[in-house]
Order: sequence, then C-alpha cells, then structure tokens
Amino acid sequence: MLKYKFDWAVVTSGKYFDWLASGLYVTIQLSVVSVALSFLLGLIIAVMRMSHVRPIRWFAHGYLEFFRNTPLLVQIFFWYFGSYKILPQAVNDWMNRQNFEFAAAVVALTIYTSAFIAEDIRSGVLSIPKEQMEAARSSGFSYLGSMRYIILPQAVRLTIPPLINQFLNLAKNSSLAMTIGVAELTYQARQVESYTFKGFEAFTAATLVYVVISSVITILVNIYNKTVLRPMRAR
Amino acid sequence: MKKLGALILSLVLAGGLCGAATAADTLAEAKKKGILVCGVKDSLPPFGYVDAKTREIVGYDIDFCKAITKKLGVKLELKPVTSASRMPQLMEGNIDIIAATMTKNPERAKQIDFSDTYFFTGQKFLTKKGTVKSLKDLGGKRIGTAKGSTSEQNAAKAVPSATILSFDDYPQAVLALQQGKVVAVTTDESILAGQLGKLNKEPSTKGQYEIPDIQISDEPYGLGIRKGDTNFVNFVNKTIGEMEKSGEAKKIFEKWFGPNSDTPLKRNFKITAGK
Amino acid sequence: MTGGLDFNVIRDNLLYFFIGRYPHGPLGGVGLTFYLAVVSLVLSFIGGLILGLLSISHNRVVKWVSLTFINAVRGMPLLMVIFWMYFLWPGLMGRPMPESQTVILALTFFTSAYMSQIVRAGIEGIPKGQTEAAISTGLAPWQAMFYIVLPQGLRNMIPSFVNQFVSMIKDTSLAFIVGVDELTHIATQVNNRTLVFPTEIFLFIAVVYFILCYAFTELSRWMEKRLAWRKAI
Repeated sequence: MLKYKFDWAVVTSGKYFDWLASGLYVTIQLSVVSVALSFLLGLIIAVMRMSHVRPIRWFAHGYLEFFRNTPLLVQIFFWYFGSYKILPQAVNDWMNRQNFEFAAAVVALTIYTSAFIAEDIRSGVLSIPKEQMEAARSSGFSYLGSMRYIILPQAVRLTIPPLINQFLNLAKNSSLAMTIGVAELTYQARQVESYTFKGFEAFTAATLVYVVISSVITILVNIYNKTVLRPMRAR
Repeated sequence: MKKLGALILSLVLAGGLCGAATAADTLAEAKKKGILVCGVKDSLPPFGYVDAKTREIVGYDIDFCKAITKKLGVKLELKPVTSASRMPQLMEGNIDIIAATMTKNPERAKQIDFSDTYFFTGQKFLTKKGTVKSLKDLGGKRIGTAKGSTSEQNAAKAVPSATILSFDDYPQAVLALQQGKVVAVTTDESILAGQLGKLNKEPSTKGQYEIPDIQISDEPYGLGIRKGDTNFVNFVNKTIGEMEKSGEAKKIFEKWFGPNSDTPLKRNFKITAGK
Repeated sequence: MTGGLDFNVIRDNLLYFFIGRYPHGPLGGVGLTFYLAVVSLVLSFIGGLILGLLSISHNRVVKWVSLTFINAVRGMPLLMVIFWMYFLWPGLMGRPMPESQTVILALTFFTSAYMSQIVRAGIEGIPKGQTEAAISTGLAPWQAMFYIVLPQGLRNMIPSFVNQFVSMIKDTSLAFIVGVDELTHIATQVNNRTLVFPTEIFLFIAVVYFILCYAFTELSRWMEKRLAWRKAI
C-alpha cells in the first residue's frame, strides 16, 4: 500500500528550497535576456520583412515561416547538439568553456520568439495609416528614417500588449531548457522530485510560481490597455 | 480557493491509495491479462536498445524480462523508461517490473522492492584518453550524467567541486563529452563500456576514449517490483536463481559482455539468493 | 569533426523516423506525431467549446470559476501540465494510463484553455442584434446560441482552429520527455545510438516538422481569405 505523506517543509525551507529558488533565478535570467534579444531581432526582421528590396523581404519571410513552424524543442536540440558541426572548432572550444547550455537556450528562445515578435510588430505597423509614411517621406525622411522616427514609435506602443504576451510565452517556454541541462525552475522541481520522491510538493511549488508570474504580467497588460491604449485610440 | 485546493488534494490522494491497492498482486494480474509490462532502457546498449535492422528493443535486461515472462507463460510488452521515470511508472502501475540498469539502494528500497542482484558493476568515468588520471583531475570541471540516477548523487559526493550536468539519459551526456561540453561522463562501468564500444565503432572517434581505473561506488542492479508484492518478488528471485543454476544467466552475460562483444567485461558476480 | 554533413544516417533510419517500430511494435515517429495532434485537437475543440461557453455564462460563479481555470492553465508551461498528468492522473483515476494517453490528455487540457479564447472571440464577433432577433422570434437563449450564433461563429473560427493545429503539432514534440515514441523522441533515440550525426538528425526533423506545419499554416491563410471574401458579399 502506497502511503503518501505530505511534507511541505521540503519545498518551503532548507536545501531543496534553495534549489527551487536558484531555479527561479535562472528562469528569470533566461527569460529577461532572451526577451531583450528577441525584441531587437524581431524589430530588425520586421523592418526587413517590409523592405522594398525583394531578396531582403524574402529572406525575412523565410526566416519567419521556418522558425515559427518548427518545434522549439527541436530548435533547442539543434543549437545545443547540432551546431557543433556547423561552427568552426575554435568557436566550439571557446563556447564549451562558457556556460554553453545557457547560451544555446538563449539562442533558441531568441530566434523562436523573435519570429513571433516580428509578426506582432508588423501588424502594429500595418495598423498605422499609410498616409503617415507618405507624409514623412514627402517631408524629407528616408524610408528607414520615417520608420525609425514616425512609424515604429507608434507601432511599438500598439504592440506592447502582444509583446508582453510573447514575454509570457517565453517565460513558460524557457522550461524546455531543462532538456539540455539548464538548471531552471522545472529542472529543479524535477531534481527535488528525484532526490526526495516529493514530486507533488515540488511540482505544486513550481506551478504556483509560474501561475503567479503570468498572473502579475496579465494584470499589468490589462492596466496598460486601460490607461495607455484606450485613451490613445480615443484620440 | 484554498478549500477547493484541499478538496482536490484529498481526492487525488484517495485516488492514489486506491490505485496502489488494486495493483498489489502482479503475478495474478499478469496471468489474468496474459501480459507482463517490462520497463526497459531503449538507447543504452547492451542493456536495452533498438536494433537498427529489426527496429526492436533488445539487450541484457530484455533477455531477463523474456526469461521471466517465459516462465510465467505470458506475453512480454516492453516499455521504454528513463532513469527519472522508471520508479513513478512502476508505482503508478504503468509497468509491472523495472529491468532498466537500476542500482539497489536503501532510499529506493523504501519505495519499491528489489529482486536479488542480477548484475553487478561499479561507478566509473568515461573520458578522452589521457585527460583524467585521478579524481583530482576532475576538480572544478564539468561532469555529465543522467537525471534521477544514483550516479548523479555519487558524483556530487566524490567530486564536490565539479559541476554536475544532468541530461535525460547517458547517451546525451556522452554526446556532450564527444563535443567537449563535459570532460567526463560518470555512471556504471557496464553502461560506460557500452558507450565506449559505440564510440570505438565510429571511425571518427575510434580509440580516443577510455575508462580510467577510478571507481567511486559499488552498483548492484536489481529488478524493481512494487512495494509489498512478495509473491512476485519470490517468483522473480526463484526464476533468476534457476537461471544461474542452469547456466542461462551466464549465457546471457556472455552474449552481451563476452570477449567477442562490443563491451567485453568480466563476470565478477553470481546471482545468489538474498543478495 | 567540424564540417562535412553525412545524411546517410537519415536514409538508413528513414522508415524508423516515419513509423517507429510499427508493425512489429506500436506506431511511432511522424505517424504518432500526427495521431497525437489530431486526437488532441478534436478533444480540445470540444473542451474549448465547453469552456468558452462557460466563460461567457451569465451566471457569475460559473463565469468566474471557468475564467480562473483558463487563466491558470494559460499561465503554466505545457511541460508542467505534462508532468502533472504524468504523476497525478493515474492516482486520480485509480488505474495506470499509457504515456501516449497521458500526453493526449495534457495537450487537450492545455489547448482547451487556448481554444476557449478563440470560441469566445468568435461568439462575441457575431452582432448582438442576431441573438436579440432570435429571442424575439420565440427561441430560448440556448437555442439562439446553438442554432443562430454558434454556427456562424464556428465558421469564422475555422482558420484559428487550423492555426491551433499547427501549434499542436509543434507541442507534441514535448511528448518526448515522458518517452512517447513520436518524431522528436525517435530522433533523440537515433542520435543516442549513432552519436556523431546530431546536426543531420535535428536538421532533418526540423524540416519534416516545418513541412507539416507550413502546409497547415497556408491552409489556414487560404481559408481566412475565402471566408473574408464570403463575408464581403
């Protein structure tokens, strides 16, 4: 007869609490670094996607479609195990002395998320009336200039809620980094489980943390929508 | 919300208790259903791996499963498990017996029962040739192993200053070694020997790796059985005891670890009752 | 080691990638990936419909409970949902469950929460006047919902459902973690066995996933255009 005794002390204090806390720290690090990078990359890809030069537009289009339509897990495996043969030996040696697991996870998360962010930014831009671009161009701005000073600042403001959603997805997706040995929250929850057999407690703790993070972010988006976007649209 | 949570918790718990209670007599269950589900490794030669040609799982562990189901007169179903998943799988009844390179230790024995030792080995390291001569050489380095294994815990004890990197299973750790992401992979010698054999078969890695003579623990393997299922434990022990007497156990060992195999090892153990 | 890709490993294991151990064993590889995605999609369509209708209920308790549930699930990583199902469902049900079913359940649970949002948006996209008109002709509110609003709403939702199917195909890759023999697990298995071809193997399955997903992405776009055209006339 299996008797399951709850032992919440396992996850609320002591060594295993420290494990979970360090896991949370890594999850936050991973998410923040990746979201910053994927915002930049997403912005670049979005601008390329709207370029008037065909090859640039095609490249951006291919990039978007490929990385959006492949599982993140496969991309993580590819960057971690598969990049070895593509990169020069010197780069491999250098990378291996660093924290390569973390780097591979950041690369995979960044590329994957940037493809979604680029599409969000593009739809933000498309919702800005065309006349604004024409007006900017006719008053002497270059294409990139009008993007930089006129269109993007507005588009980004409109895009913030979907972007924050992407951040949320990213924080959740970062759990996949455990498969290559990045000691983030899910990894640590599983470690606690296999050391103590207290899986229920460990997973409950980790789940609560994820749900709390996402609830806080969702509430922030709602406040932003009410205070910034609605007045902006009403104008 | 708290009350609702508590309610769900107690429901889950009650369910868990029922689940464990219904699956207590594996022997009778298996006979009734005509099938025994055996949890095995599926990419760990020579214990359990998928044969490239037949696309079927074969290996040392599988041969023991076969012997047990033959004696029992039921069909064998193989289910791939990992080091981390095998115990929950057994306790939840997804599998009936674990034959997956599992070391017998006191913590595990609190959760499940073990058969007599059917394989005996010790934990060592797999490294690039000449890089590691003693434990000291591993200080502060990165060592790869598998999640939820005893190897992980032993390694952390033996080389406290090293960074232990845990993968889903050993072959991924070996891949990390081969790509220079870790300097050593640690686990039981028998498993390492299998991985070394694989590396030696590949022209690009042939002869570049070794298992230095550094042992950090004894690893007796047992077949895992649900806690308190004494009937089944006795049956399994009787079966493997008979296999030892008839020479079948030795034959299986020779098949996978004999001098002509990819993983030649010496058989330094005998299946003995009570061990 | 660096350089020189050798795709023979793909050719040698091609059948294994596509059907796993079938017919000597259970179906695996691409076949199982597709099976998992289709079954989970159908189930989560039903789940999403129910949740979506509950979340716009006029009963405040029902609405609040279902919204809390939806938001909690949406806040969890899918990996976490899979672990929960894997560890807890057997206990709850009092009997063991094959891993593939565990994964189907987890995917259904997870995707239903997202589907419910699609359903809700689809229903809210139908003008209120239609419901009012239906009720004034003597239909009960639930009849108005099932005969008038839902059929139109569902048609508009089709492209989003197809999109969700694409996410589903990608999500099945997580089944690898509990040892279900779908494409990603097969790939890691072959990779574990052969050791020196990770680049080739992961590139290959990425392309296979891409072809599958892209086909359905395009289908959804085509449907969206067709629906928009129909609405215009």
